[in-house]
Amino acid sequence: MVNILWLQGGACSGNTMSFLSAQEPTVVELVTDFGINILYHPSLALEIGEQVSDLLHDILRGSVQLDIFVYEGSVIQGPNGNGSMNNFAERPMQDWVRELSNVAGYVVAIGDCATWGGIPAVPPNPTESTGMQWHKEKKGGFLGEGFISKAGMPVINIPGCPAHPDWISQILVAISTGRIGDVLIDDLHRPKTFFTDFVQTGCTNAISFSKKIDGGFGKRGGCLFYEVGCRGPMTRASCNRILWNRQSSKTRANHPCLGCTEPGFPHHDLKKGSIFKTMKYLGFMPRELPNGASRLGYFTLTATTKALGIAQTDPDTSK
Amino acid sequence: MSTIKELNISPVGRVEGDLDVKVYMENGVVTRAHTQAAMFRGFEKIMEGKDPQSGLIVTPRICGICGGSHLYCASSALDTAWKTKLSPNALLLRAIGQATETIQSIPRWFYAIFATDLANKKFANKPLYAEVVKRFAAYVGTSFQKGVTASGRPVEVYALFGGQWPHSSYMIPGGVMCAPTLKDITRAHAIMNFFRNDWLEPVWLGCSIERYLRIKSWDDLMAWVDENESQRNSDLGLFIRASLEFGLDKFGQGVGKFLAYGTYLHKDLYNTPTVEGRNKALISSSGFFDGKNWSEFDHLKIKEHVKHSWYADVPAEHPWKEPFPTPVQSQHLADSDFNGKYSWAKAPRYDGFSAEAGPLSRVIMNANPNNLNHQIQDPLFGDIITKLGPNVFTRTLARVHEAPRLYEFINQWLSQIDLDGEFYIKPEERDGMGFGATEAARGALAHWIEIKNGVIKNYQVMAPTTWNVGPNDEQGKSGPIEAALTGIEIEDPHDPVEVGMVARSFDSCLVCTVHAHDGKTGEQLAKFKL
Repeated sequence: MVNILWLQGGACSGNTMSFLSAQEPTVVELVTDFGINILYHPSLALEIGEQVSDLLHDILRGSVQLDIFVYEGSVIQGPNGNGSMNNFAERPMQDWVRELSNVAGYVVAIGDCATWGGIPAVPPNPTESTGMQWHKEKKGGFLGEGFISKAGMPVINIPGCPAHPDWISQILVAISTGRIGDVLIDDLHRPKTFFTDFVQTGCTNAISFSKKIDGGFGKRGGCLFYEVGCRGPMTRASCNRILWNRQSSKTRANHPCLGCTEPGFPHHDLKKGSIFKTMKYLGFMPRELPNGASRLGYFTLTATTKALGIAQTDPDTSK
Repeated sequence: MSTIKELNISPVGRVEGDLDVKVYMENGVVTRAHTQAAMFRGFEKIMEGKDPQSGLIVTPRICGICGGSHLYCASSALDTAWKTKLSPNALLLRAIGQATETIQSIPRWFYAIFATDLANKKFANKPLYAEVVKRFAAYVGTSFQKGVTASGRPVEVYALFGGQWPHSSYMIPGGVMCAPTLKDITRAHAIMNFFRNDWLEPVWLGCSIERYLRIKSWDDLMAWVDENESQRNSDLGLFIRASLEFGLDKFGQGVGKFLAYGTYLHKDLYNTPTVEGRNKALISSSGFFDGKNWSEFDHLKIKEHVKHSWYADVPAEHPWKEPFPTPVQSQHLADSDFNGKYSWAKAPRYDGFSAEAGPLSRVIMNANPNNLNHQIQDPLFGDIITKLGPNVFTRTLARVHEAPRLYEFINQWLSQIDLDGEFYIKPEERDGMGFGATEAARGALAHWIEIKNGVIKNYQVMAPTTWNVGPNDEQGKSGPIEAALTGIEIEDPHDPVEVGMVARSFDSCLVCTVHAHDGKTGEQLAKFKL
């Protein structure tokens, strides 16, 4: 039996909605078949109100063991650091978060708001939002660079806007079945098992990427990297390996990857020209290149492919 | 001697931020109620000075449940500002996204949020209580997991066209990103068919969709319940019988005025999007209903008030003219002064009136005798509102009533997609003002945008929850939930389940605890699950 507490701060509940869409296992099966005891979840739990604040106090006192503290949403510190823009059970949520993190076995940040601050932390950051152990690309965040939970791990980051239900449920199952030792985390504290491959892995347009065939909105086939800002080649996530809602993924539905599992999301802080457009260098070279590509090498390859007419003008597609 | 009590309910609601409620009672009757939204995120301010398309990425993330609805608004607001052209396919695929998100919410909301209240011990002496508990109790009820799991199916269709649910941005000014193929359409039909065979007909209706849609009046509905065992014992049949037995039709009336922006823009009637042309292009009509008469919806009649909201004072104004809100210091529920500022929600008013948004408003507009040929013409709720009025039961019935029709629409719209047609017409970016609106699962949702010098100068979002949980306005008039709570009888002040049921009948995810305080000593008497 593993005790889980799930709280939401500056959240839209999108990660909870994603989690509720999970199958194999469903949320109910997690509880009934995988020994996961949800002490409290704002949308699921029957225990509420003062039963919740009593529970929180019991956890802080040590009379209820907290194995996993799951946090969804940004940590709201405004105004002026007092956190009262987000009250929960008559206290600023940030006060609960700090105290609970100190007594939890593992702390898991779910979704971009909890991991890096997400959209609420985009300048001017009106709520003084931050992530649990990151603020955008910079380590530190709310709990600080050196934070280590009681079981000896830093905050485990499950980013994504929202996180895929499998990323959430399988990490919970890994902890509950004693396999946490197999969970390796990368330098952004993401479990490598989900965040090593790029979104491009498994993308149905990968062949168009290598042939430099452009796609576009409302068209079938072609690569979205060159014109409409797809970040699939530089975003680590398993979206195209495990699919969403068991059916598809953004890039399979001709939707450019937004790079939402990387700490810069929304990238370039929504500045003019950055949305659904590939930002260009010298008017034709993508400013951001696939991970690992050198600018000169990539430029040469692309120019050669185009100049020698290797590229088809249109992808092979059918209605 | 009268007994005066105050109840602090914190938190009442989740999902769109926290909702707290303060209730004043005299002899068991609520004399005054105040709603308090307990979280601020500042999403509008974040978009100031940013790329005009920011709303396509930012606003779906305002709400994990209604993200597709925000996207519908954000893309529409840009369509009107940029004067785009929309193909029939684009309008169909946007409508399918909106409809699948809404139909998803029906079983998820009914089983996970609402029906568990019917298992409250308040109703333990009622004959149907045992069956209700067996069917609807959280987690263990025989329909609970079935309904919650079924809710994941329609959004699989959303994912076929949008890539994922929640949080896609597939609707863009000028159309949609996707260009589906035959296999996407056939799979979507198959998924919806599974949803019907797995839950909608056997578990929910106990009859065919065609049979259910023949219901045109309250008497028809009652006759439908008693027509056979299958219908009487379906989850809908049980819900109707239990609601009437438990008295859910007797409380939670509200302000008695209803507002719907309408949704589902017709594939052939909105190819040149304009604010003025929107009403006539809707399949589910817009309008304002004052309890007797319908009038045409005009977004210019909307103003937002901030006198009782934690924002710097500005006069009530239309969203196009409002400044970005400037937050001021907030208080905890217990320390709030309800004569001053007490909520993060603003107070929207239509033509000066507080109005209820939600499925009940929507189905009342569907009963408007002036609806056009291509618009839904369903007299049922025109009859119900006359006979039963607004209350916890009719509000909930309205929400679940939409499922069979939405199922039919989704299949019909899928069959109208022309695989040889256009899905996206690239627009020309320009400065201007835009307005986009829809009906989210829980009601009227709209975005207003002003683009200047190629960036966002102003962006205002008004959610259905803002209409319903908003605080008092400049004239001290209550918001809809505040009004619906006023006058309710709380049978047991130690277990005021009625407060939670009223609040839940307006919104989806409310998880409540009530702290009951003696009015004189402030001593905490008890706290309860609602």
